[in-house]
Amino acid sequence: MCETVTRLETDQEIIYMCPFSGAVKGKVLITNYRLYFKSSDAEVPVVLDVPLGVISRVEKMGGASSRGENSYGLDITCKDMRNLRFALKQEGHSRRGIFDMLFRYAFPLSHGLALFAYLNQEKFAENGWNVYKAMEEFRRQGLPNNKWRMTFINKRYELCDTYPNLLAVPFKCTEDDLRKVAAFRSRGRIPVLSWIHRENQAVIVRCSQPLVGMSGKRNKDDERYLDLIREANDTTKKLTIYDARPNVNAVANKATGGGYEGDEYVNAELVFLDIQNIHVMRESLKKLKDIVYPNVEESHWLSSLESTHWLEHIKLVLSGAIQVADKVSSGNSVLVHCSDGWDRTAQLTSLAMLMLDSHYRTLRGFQVLIEKEWISFGHKFASRIGHGDKNHADQDRSPIFVQFIDCVWQMTKQFPTAFEFNEHLLLSILDHLYSCRFGTFLYNCENARDQHDLRSKTTSLWSLVNSKMDLYLNPFYTPESGQVLYPVASMRHLELWVNYYIRWNPRIRHQQQSPVEQRYKELLALREEYLKKLEQLQLSDSSSSYQLTNSTTPNTTSSTASTPSQQYTHLQTPL
Amino acid sequence: MFSGKPIKPTFKCYLPPAQTDRKNSIQPPIRLEPEFLPGEIVVNDVNFVRKCISAESSQGDLWGRLICTNFKVSFIPQGPPPKQKSQLSHLLLGQHDISLTCLEQVVTVNDTRGKRKVLGSNQKLKFNPTELILYCKDLRVIRFCFDEAGPESAKKVCLAIAHYSHPADLHLLFGFEYQGLRYHKGDLVNGSTPRGGIQTPVFDRPSDWDREIKRTGASGWRVCSINEKYAISDSLPEYIVVPVSLTDQDVKQHSPSFSDGRVPLWCWNHRNGSALVRMAGPADPLTQKKTEQKIFTAITKSHPQRREVTLSDLDKSLPNIQDIQSAFVKARQICTLDPFEESEERWLSSIENSRWLEYVRTFLKLSAEIVYNLDGKNVSVILLEEEDRDLNCVVSSLVQLMLDPHYRSLNGFQSLVQKEWVMAGHRFLDRCNHLKKNDSKESPLFTLFLDCVWQMTNQYPAAFEFTEFYLTVLSDSMWIPLFSTFLFNSSKQCAQLLQ
Repeated sequence: MCETVTRLETDQEIIYMCPFSGAVKGKVLITNYRLYFKSSDAEVPVVLDVPLGVISRVEKMGGASSRGENSYGLDITCKDMRNLRFALKQEGHSRRGIFDMLFRYAFPLSHGLALFAYLNQEKFAENGWNVYKAMEEFRRQGLPNNKWRMTFINKRYELCDTYPNLLAVPFKCTEDDLRKVAAFRSRGRIPVLSWIHRENQAVIVRCSQPLVGMSGKRNKDDERYLDLIREANDTTKKLTIYDARPNVNAVANKATGGGYEGDEYVNAELVFLDIQNIHVMRESLKKLKDIVYPNVEESHWLSSLESTHWLEHIKLVLSGAIQVADKVSSGNSVLVHCSDGWDRTAQLTSLAMLMLDSHYRTLRGFQVLIEKEWISFGHKFASRIGHGDKNHADQDRSPIFVQFIDCVWQMTKQFPTAFEFNEHLLLSILDHLYSCRFGTFLYNCENARDQHDLRSKTTSLWSLVNSKMDLYLNPFYTPESGQVLYPVASMRHLELWVNYYIRWNPRIRHQQQSPVEQRYKELLALREEYLKKLEQLQLSDSSSSYQLTNSTTPNTTSSTASTPSQQYTHLQTPL
Repeated sequence: MFSGKPIKPTFKCYLPPAQTDRKNSIQPPIRLEPEFLPGEIVVNDVNFVRKCISAESSQGDLWGRLICTNFKVSFIPQGPPPKQKSQLSHLLLGQHDISLTCLEQVVTVNDTRGKRKVLGSNQKLKFNPTELILYCKDLRVIRFCFDEAGPESAKKVCLAIAHYSHPADLHLLFGFEYQGLRYHKGDLVNGSTPRGGIQTPVFDRPSDWDREIKRTGASGWRVCSINEKYAISDSLPEYIVVPVSLTDQDVKQHSPSFSDGRVPLWCWNHRNGSALVRMAGPADPLTQKKTEQKIFTAITKSHPQRREVTLSDLDKSLPNIQDIQSAFVKARQICTLDPFEESEERWLSSIENSRWLEYVRTFLKLSAEIVYNLDGKNVSVILLEEEDRDLNCVVSSLVQLMLDPHYRSLNGFQSLVQKEWVMAGHRFLDRCNHLKKNDSKESPLFTLFLDCVWQMTNQYPAAFEFTEFYLTVLSDSMWIPLFSTFLFNSSKQCAQLLQ
């Protein structure tokens, strides 16, 4: 790694209160990017290397007069399922320096400083900002066509300041229609196309809730607009509207001016998906942390896990996405929204697209999916994660994106050969969701990113990933385009993602690389070697007896130019 | 263990049912003949039976003929056979077949009269059944409806199934009929087909034990043939391994002190010299202390470093066979609930409440502790259990599986099962309750063992030669009485009955 880290302060004897191996003496180094701890005792080699971005809260524990061993020090709460405690000597305000340093550089925005991503000088072979170009992605989907057109109405983010600047809308609607619809949709987030099915032309459209309010307002333009969306697909008799919220919450939203589509939308049917809001998800993950960190609640593990409801939420999100995918693949256009259309909506559309479109299951395609459905459509990463912000109790924070990645992980577990990327990619994404080393997950929307010159001043996470793709590839991947993946969203099949949620616990055995994967890679290498040998033999053979080679050349040699994954298809099927 | 079963509910359960409601039309029957094994005969059959596929709707139901033979219950669906054979297709049974030994409970229902009766053998039925529900030991629940079938023949088939699934005598199990026709004692006596020239040792002869002693480097141990013709114990194998310092006479003399004459049995030796031994509780408390001391001394002598032995009393640290059975019954109930949504909401806590996984964990944990004694502390361990025929089987085989990679090969695993279960006298007949005579003796210890193994294969995916599929087949084969391996209570019983 060639990142530049400005040295700020070093060298102070400190005790890391490791919950697993007890109190460990060592030295700590704090830079503007990380906290680094190394035990001075060689027999207990404990190393901590924590990007400051994962810190959500730094507290002083104990006072100058508190008694008891190691009762004076710092308590650090992290966003990534762990806490860190350090104890110091009580004399001479020994913790003040470290505390100030941490507080300042873990929360730079609260101190008028720039996020580390703006200071990072790392250079990579590939520029990850080029991974996603909205127009290219629309073209890949076969757009524009005679039913859908591109519009630049949001070029200066005037129609909707949290949307991207390029939108796909029904061909028949005018720019004026769009403005009228924007007035009736929360924060101007009008229904726009996310994905179109190549064969049956059914679409996934996303938006925010309609502004129905207590009085039950109607908007003819919105009604007509939804009907245009429906008409754009011949086989859609009724447009299915998936409201991600529980029914009662949707009703309650009327009080604040929101609501849901009523009977006046004659050619539509409304389905509530019962997914809870960001606050419920936050509390659920907090409960999960309580039972896995620092110690795993062993005696009543399953019922404790159940009482966090984390897996139940995962199940609802997944089964919602399954319904969306199933509707679309049977030739029915759908519209997905929640309240603002940037949390649950992003989860549902992106997961449904992952099920429907094998392109998104490749390493690059998955990056496109995240860039498109999450980043460009204004999932509020800055508010949900709280990058560089000291306000740890902010009610806007919520692990919605973590939940999405968990759902993806559940799918990779159920379809081990369907994804080109591996678990390591998912872990890396979550690590850098907090680290602030890359610009990828910073800010709430494109408008803000443009204002802060994000793409010219910071590096993309995909630069790191795509410069070392080998690390993130799944050797078991067998490309099968056109296949829709329907995971089983049943409690019987959902698992806790131990390698993420319990990864700090050394007692939970986790393998960086499974032996099966290792063996498989060896076999692949062996096969490659033999194929080369075969090719060589045939070459030397053909020079001596041309006739013979011609008649006996097996098919494999003629395809040596094709990608390795294609060649290995046969080898993979028995697995 | 449950994941090997075909899972019926799919994601479709989350989708509203499709609108189309096709009427099932009954077509004139084509001849619906099942495939029979040699010696298999049809007892009774009935046509126009509907096999229920889903609890929610009758849409996917199959129509066909229901047959009861002396070996299985067979359902032959009308119409062309499915194009694709199901992935876990069976070599001996069809997709819709259930061997009679696999039946746990036969229940007849009359919908209109609100009646329900669990059927045993030789029983009468006062109502015409409209429905037959078969609860199977392999976690299937199968429902047949007789709405279009002749009431009398439906009733007859139900009674026949109930009767033939409760054999009055071990000889009436189909295996005996089949055995006589297909296999002859002699050249195929060693069971499985040779695999790469290696046969699975069955430990019915001294050479098998000798080879095991050599393989593990157990120089302090020898094969003893004092139990030939089952002279000192009915439940021990004819050849056992004992410390070299004990003479045949010593063994014979010590034998009466133990339950059923079961002198302590050598199981396995660690490379470091420590041995794993299994032992039954005392038959005669008076002489017990003295005998035990002598045996312990002999085992200590067999250890190259003369280490004291460690005794592990499994009865004190593990659930008993009734606990295990009731946990299994609960787990089975949760797993077979139909529609499955009912168990979905509280799935995790229900599974926890069944205690099945807790028991799996307890067995694995205790075995790992014993591994630590043998491997880390280099001391010989004696597993003590009242009868030495249940808990000891599970723990001794788990310990060996953890320590010795040989047993993680397919052949090694089979020899382990043969050595620690079949030859050690695990009461398969009673624990499987094949004769359905004594429910209190029923307990799924072997299933528990297989679950523990499955957990290990999950944690060490590259360490085992065999697959999850193999474990499933092994489990299923317990309920197919064609193989003698899991049919008897002891090798003596097996030898007597197969003569």
